[in-house]
Amino acid sequence: MSGGRLEGIDLVKRFGGLTAVDEVTVHTAPSEVTALIGPNGAGKTTLFQCLTGVERPDSGRVLLDGTDITRRSPDARARLGIGRTFQRLAVFATMTVADNLGVGAENRNSAPTLVRTGQLLLGILGFPVVDEKRHQRRVDEVIELLGLREVRDAPAGSLPTGTLRLVELGRALCHDPQVLLLDEPASGLDTTETRQLQRVLRDVTGSGVAVLLVEHDVDLVFDVADRVYAMAEGKLIAAGTVDEVRTHPAVLEAYLS
Amino acid sequence: MLALDYALAGLGLGAIAALSGVGVLLTYRLTGVFNMAHGAIAMIAAYLFWQCTAGWGLPVWLAALLVLAVASPGLGMLLERFVFRPLQRRFATPAESLVATIGLLVLLLGVAYVVWGPQTRHPAALVPENVVQWGSLTLHVDAFTDLGIVIAGTLALGIVLRLTALGTQIRAVVDRRDLAELSGVDADRVSAIGWSIGCVFASLTGILLAAQISLNPFGLTLLVLETFAIPVLAGLRSIPIAIATGIALGIAQSEMNLWSPANASLSSIWDALHANLPVVLLLVVLLVRNRLAEGGGDAGSATTFARRRAGAASNRRLAVQYALAAGAMILPLTFNSVHLRQAQEIPALGIIFVSIVAVTGYSGQISLGQAGYAGLGALFFAKASGGTPQIIALLVAALAAGVVGFATGYPAIRRRGLFLALTTFAVGAFVSRFVFAQPYFTNDVEVNRPSFFGLSLQGDRAFYLFELALLAFAFLVMFNLRNGALGRSLIAIRDSEDGARSVGVDVRVLKVLIFTVSAMLAGLGGALLAQQAQAFDPTAFDPLEASLPWFAVVVVFGADSAVAAVIGAGFLVLVNALTGQAGAYLIPIGLLAAFLGRLPGGAAELGRRTVDWLMTPTALMRRYTAAVPPSRPPLVLSDRGRLALARVRREQPASPAEGSARP
Repeated sequence: MSGGRLEGIDLVKRFGGLTAVDEVTVHTAPSEVTALIGPNGAGKTTLFQCLTGVERPDSGRVLLDGTDITRRSPDARARLGIGRTFQRLAVFATMTVADNLGVGAENRNSAPTLVRTGQLLLGILGFPVVDEKRHQRRVDEVIELLGLREVRDAPAGSLPTGTLRLVELGRALCHDPQVLLLDEPASGLDTTETRQLQRVLRDVTGSGVAVLLVEHDVDLVFDVADRVYAMAEGKLIAAGTVDEVRTHPAVLEAYLS
Repeated sequence: MLALDYALAGLGLGAIAALSGVGVLLTYRLTGVFNMAHGAIAMIAAYLFWQCTAGWGLPVWLAALLVLAVASPGLGMLLERFVFRPLQRRFATPAESLVATIGLLVLLLGVAYVVWGPQTRHPAALVPENVVQWGSLTLHVDAFTDLGIVIAGTLALGIVLRLTALGTQIRAVVDRRDLAELSGVDADRVSAIGWSIGCVFASLTGILLAAQISLNPFGLTLLVLETFAIPVLAGLRSIPIAIATGIALGIAQSEMNLWSPANASLSSIWDALHANLPVVLLLVVLLVRNRLAEGGGDAGSATTFARRRAGAASNRRLAVQYALAAGAMILPLTFNSVHLRQAQEIPALGIIFVSIVAVTGYSGQISLGQAGYAGLGALFFAKASGGTPQIIALLVAALAAGVVGFATGYPAIRRRGLFLALTTFAVGAFVSRFVFAQPYFTNDVEVNRPSFFGLSLQGDRAFYLFELALLAFAFLVMFNLRNGALGRSLIAIRDSEDGARSVGVDVRVLKVLIFTVSAMLAGLGGALLAQQAQAFDPTAFDPLEASLPWFAVVVVFGADSAVAAVIGAGFLVLVNALTGQAGAYLIPIGLLAAFLGRLPGGAAELGRRTVDWLMTPTALMRRYTAAVPPSRPPLVLSDRGRLALARVRREQPASPAEGSARP
């Protein structure tokens, strides 16, 4: 898989008088875990939303492998290869785990809108336009990878938060993303699940995917991240390797004060 | 130029429109529920008032006192206690409350229809007509009285709510009922007061309005529904804006009398605009506003009354279902001609109901304008079948409905819940008023049953078979919408739009598509309905007489089951045939829809649960055999684990109860 360089350049996002993200430039790189840390209200989530397309930045650009995607909708970005999970879960509660993952696998289609609409119309009339067998294989792979075999056919709405975080991760993985954006994936996970998550992250980056992690759990971040960005009050205060950021005076101050 | 006398003439109706709009807005502010039944409550109150005065001969003041001070607050308390309290207790979504109010609307329509009949009544005026000639101006003193009542009532209420603790309590309960209860607010009492106030406003509207126009079950209710433009324009917030809008609406409508285009066809458009100004305003306001400030969160999607999980029904169960349904559908072929003719409505209505399942059940978009598409289908089939082959005419009908569906689906991309429901309703009402009610479109419309390749479908049996073939086609479409990748994507949108977007489901395209397909199916069904009756009847596609009750039927029978939708159509036709009254089915359907909160998922879910219950022994056996693994892998312990196990064994020697072993 090529690519996986997602860049946010000079991003600014204001809410009324508050500048939530102030001239922030970040990027991900293939086969790397990039982490974004910062205290509550630092602007991590807003930056994340600008990268995924949920929020539109007031100025600045978002590039995926050099292509400007600043004005693309979240679903268009997803079709281009950006996968994500949610801090507040957004699973399909009435569907089984396997179907949740299936939706992820089946919609990786970057054909133009007109072509996709045509395919949908054919689908309504019953023509098999989606190669369901192939997608099913991918779903089964990911289910094995995440250890979800036990709950494969359980409706997602009946499962605990920790499992659902893995389901969302699996949904994004089935999508074969080039860039994977994870919004606090470890919140609500127990120690075993967190270790499972670390293992999966290593697997994923091993296959060339770029991962961007927004996380409160600093231990997890320092364990898995290759590069770390630290934010405070909307601004980027430090960037570099784990060791550089861990000992950066501005980071220490932001976390201690 | 505004003419003063016309403005004054419009003041009366404007004041009542303002009262109606303020009532809807107040109910929303006081209870957190957008009351679709506001008009029906007004209509029932007007009937009660008529019954007291004309029926039992009570004096007007006593009748008004009985209706406004006894019956209306009583109704409000009943509604709170039996319909909305259970919903709020279990944190039902606003979409569920909305459906409950639609159920209530349908129920009250049915009650009025059965008790007082469809004929028009003329109740006494609460405010007697009083005209004073003042120079060249004609002053309607009664209009000023109406206006005074509206402003005084609203002001008094506003002062009470602002100066007493009740106002704060109401806001707290509407905002966060659970937190309000925790801080000692009697939420039940507060909501009961809210509902009572809302009902009194509705009743006053009904009584005043019935004196101005005449009274019949559907007419007055629809008129009140059309004033929804007022609360929407006021952003569901500002009472002064609502009052001003209402009065402006009345005056504008009156001023339109002043001028008329010379051109005959322009003039008929102008007349239609004039007569239906509120509908136009409603549609325009809904299309222009891109957001409604909905208190208590977004009404969300309709997930809550569509329960079926994707892929939950086993193939065998589906096969049994379809076989049974097909058998039942063939049965009418053995009926005598009278019954067969009645049964012919079932597949036609069934297709329309199935189209509601597609849009509401499968993808969670509330659509209250389905009869509009059906009527367009009927009308376009009638117009096209004159010169073209029938099958092409049928295609034209479906396409015409589809185009309007597409146009509705487009704004639906950004709208959800209540806002979408109102928009679809407005489209239905608009089509009804500007197409079905216009002689230009509906004069000399002849509907003939089709014939294909020399095969005539004139005969009742042949036509019924033809309908069944189209129903089967509709089922094929529904099957494809439900299953496979497409079905999963639709349910994904229903369950979580954000989640669906995050994996590349094209929510915009799918929403527009589902609206278009649903409208095309409805158009097909509508064309069949007209062919069955061999006439185009505009009231058959009325937003109030058709759209809303149809929606209620589908939701009651199970919004996510196509088979249940056809059973619903059968139920409707059967009740009508048995009672000989076109409105009789409204009562059971309305009752069930109003109490749907107690049975989420409707009759389809009940059926599924019953089958599950019947199958319990087999299912349990299957689960039991599955749960006992053939061979258990040996337990592997790490060094630390072995140590821990040894320690546990040493500390607690084979004792069942923890603690008792300790000395």
